Amino acid sequence: MRTKIFILLILTSVLFSACASPTPTQAPAEATTVPEPAAAEPVTLKIYLLDYTPDTIAWLKSDINPAFEAAHPGVTVEITEGSWSGWDTTFAGFFAAGEGPDIINLGSEMNTLYGPSLADMEQYLGAAAWPDISNFGPALENAKFEGKLRGLPIFTAPRYVFCRTDLAVGSLPPKNFADWVAFAKANTTIDAATNSLTQQALVPVDAGSMADWQWWLLVYYSLGGQLYKADGTPNFDSPEALATTQFMLDMRQATYGPAADAVGALPAGQGSVIDINDETAANNGAVCLAHSGWAAPAFDRPVWENISIEPFYGDPANFPNSKPVVLAFNDWLAVADYSKHKDLAADWLKMAFTKEANHKWNETMSLIPSRNDAQYGYVTDSPQLKKEAELASKYGVGFAGIAEAAKLSVIMQEALGKLITEELTPAEVNAQIQEQYLIALGK
Amino acid sequence: MTLNPYFEVLFTAVLTIGFIIVTSLGLGQLARFIARQVGASKRHQENTFTGYAFAAPWIVGFLIFVIVPLGYSFYWSFTDYRVTENTPPNWIGLDNYARLITNDPGFRSSIVNTLYLTAVGLPLMIAVALFLAVLLNQKTRGERVFRMAFYLPVILGFNTAVLLAWRLMLNTGTGIINQLIRALSTAFPPISYLNRGIIFVQELISALFLGISSGKFTLLNRVWEAGFPAANRVPMWVESPLWTKMSVVLLMIWGCGSMMLIFLSGLNNIPRELHDAADVDGANNWQHFWKISFPLLTPYVFYNLIVGLIACLQIFEPIYVLYRDSQPLVPSTISMVYYLWQASFRNFEIGYGSAISWVILLIIMAVTAIQFMIQKRWVNYDLY
Repeated sequence: MRTKIFILLILTSVLFSACASPTPTQAPAEATTVPEPAAAEPVTLKIYLLDYTPDTIAWLKSDINPAFEAAHPGVTVEITEGSWSGWDTTFAGFFAAGEGPDIINLGSEMNTLYGPSLADMEQYLGAAAWPDISNFGPALENAKFEGKLRGLPIFTAPRYVFCRTDLAVGSLPPKNFADWVAFAKANTTIDAATNSLTQQALVPVDAGSMADWQWWLLVYYSLGGQLYKADGTPNFDSPEALATTQFMLDMRQATYGPAADAVGALPAGQGSVIDINDETAANNGAVCLAHSGWAAPAFDRPVWENISIEPFYGDPANFPNSKPVVLAFNDWLAVADYSKHKDLAADWLKMAFTKEANHKWNETMSLIPSRNDAQYGYVTDSPQLKKEAELASKYGVGFAGIAEAAKLSVIMQEALGKLITEELTPAEVNAQIQEQYLIALGK
Repeated sequence: MTLNPYFEVLFTAVLTIGFIIVTSLGLGQLARFIARQVGASKRHQENTFTGYAFAAPWIVGFLIFVIVPLGYSFYWSFTDYRVTENTPPNWIGLDNYARLITNDPGFRSSIVNTLYLTAVGLPLMIAVALFLAVLLNQKTRGERVFRMAFYLPVILGFNTAVLLAWRLMLNTGTGIINQLIRALSTAFPPISYLNRGIIFVQELISALFLGISSGKFTLLNRVWEAGFPAANRVPMWVESPLWTKMSVVLLMIWGCGSMMLIFLSGLNNIPRELHDAADVDGANNWQHFWKISFPLLTPYVFYNLIVGLIACLQIFEPIYVLYRDSQPLVPSTISMVYYLWQASFRNFEIGYGSAISWVILLIIMAVTAIQFMIQKRWVNYDLY
């Protein structure tokens, strides 16, 4: 009897807990209207950064934060360092609890995913409140949601085509799809003994499959493709999309042969795939690399004498709307909607994103500052960065504004995975993406 | 006024201790009250109070950290709760479950992938663990070192260094595993045929499972048409959708130390007299194992099967560490729990993720119940 009563008690509590009202997902409405504490009261402004160099963090702690704290008596700035590995789970916790860092570090495509949970910062960072905003380049668009600023971009990191001019057979750079496929065949070598690549003509993002969704989007944009139609439905049933998928397959087969050949990928090595190994003096295996600058050799490497930097030119022979493209990624700092210190967060951002600060922040990582007027000094002194910055401003296309980006990546990766095994034809791949993305968008 | 964070921590700790004391006494009182109501003696009432008061910290913890989240998860599974939407959950009834069962090819694929890891990986894992246990049960020099060595992966787990080591070892061209296969195949031609035969069969099985998950068997036909692999073929481990799941199986086998320990304890429990009697009858080692050891080990096999089955159906870590980068290969290997993680922490669809977790629970319960029903036919409890 006692056991039964006890079980009844537990079940009742389960029932009550199941029926209980859910944890609020946002700070109560009053919280946003509560006046900011007076300057003299102790306040901690929390900032969450992902994978920045020790030099950057040290500079923020020694220069920016003390200056900010001096200007805001009673305010302490606390920087927490996280990693891109596992960030999503951590951020989910912040938003679920409606509590966490005031300023968080996001990537380009995350504006659509997190947008509803980010603060509208127009009143603090818009042109009327902060004239400096006009100095930011196209990366600023990635820091907006529904046309409203949610934070500020730190840098722009476009994807270029880097090629080893001393290794390449044939003219560089290939400027249409047919030339690329011929280039891939002429510049790839397979070791018969190990049935593996020893040289790969083009290494895009994910060298093994050569069909990563980000690489697909870059190629697609270079044909003049638009991700969405006028009615907001996806455009994977367009001729440009089909040509892009066919190009993925053609390049993969020109490099690895048919799927049944089961050729192994390049061995994992040290340093950039287009660099030269200092110990063995052997090439690391790639002739061209379609990737961000950080995947290329360090700027002081001697191999740069033989490296060209180009955009991806599309296929003007078959698609007249083709245009050279570098797909621009960027990191940005956003202010969470649950933050009770939005004005302080805005002030800190203004201080950390002045012309000089934005320059300094990126100098420690040799990246291109998001502010146009911050692109001086190391940017123009380095021939590589100068060229990259020029290409970015001329041909940059933002990797942003992708609705349900996380779902689209899974949908595309699954379909493109079946393309490289020749399980699906390019037309079937696109049809599958179109169908599943429509469902994901709820259309 | 904003409090000093250290004071907040201290305050929270004191509150927690106070909460534990109050709930312990409260639960004890409640238990005593119930005992009184059912007519228990004064002494029995006091014992009831003491028992429940001491058990209360665990019971309250269980209620707060297990039952309450379980309740929330169940409730959310009927809502459209999405963390990033900044809106409260809306009740949508059975929509999540309907979408999951009728309109989610990704979840179907994850079930098929998990089925492969369970049907192929688990028997291999048990077989290797049993084999190692039998080997390490011999009285030889350094047996403890070997036991420790084979148990070490369980302690190491799947950390970054382990991941990196495995990725290097599994490299098709230069990885040590394929280098060994190549060296052995070159030195001993029969091993080359065995290797290619295993590759052919494995790729056929994998293509079959991929076909089941996608509903198209193009890949199976292609593998069949390609025929017996060429002499220079090696496994494509983390490079081909045909090998992604087998790479995970390798990691599973690598971590079979716990099963091995269970088998070792089982082997030690078998009475020596039985083997002595078999020796008198002239039994060889093979007969010793199959006629005495294995039948008496079946309860241990059953235990490992149940625990391993649940672990396989919940497999996440090896896939996460090997394929985190979300390459086009990932969908060929994602498990049900990986899919749950994707829905919950990449798409932030907590409502949908909760529904997935409840469906996984039902699947695990059903499979475990079936195992318990079947065990009467093959598990030998004569010795116990």
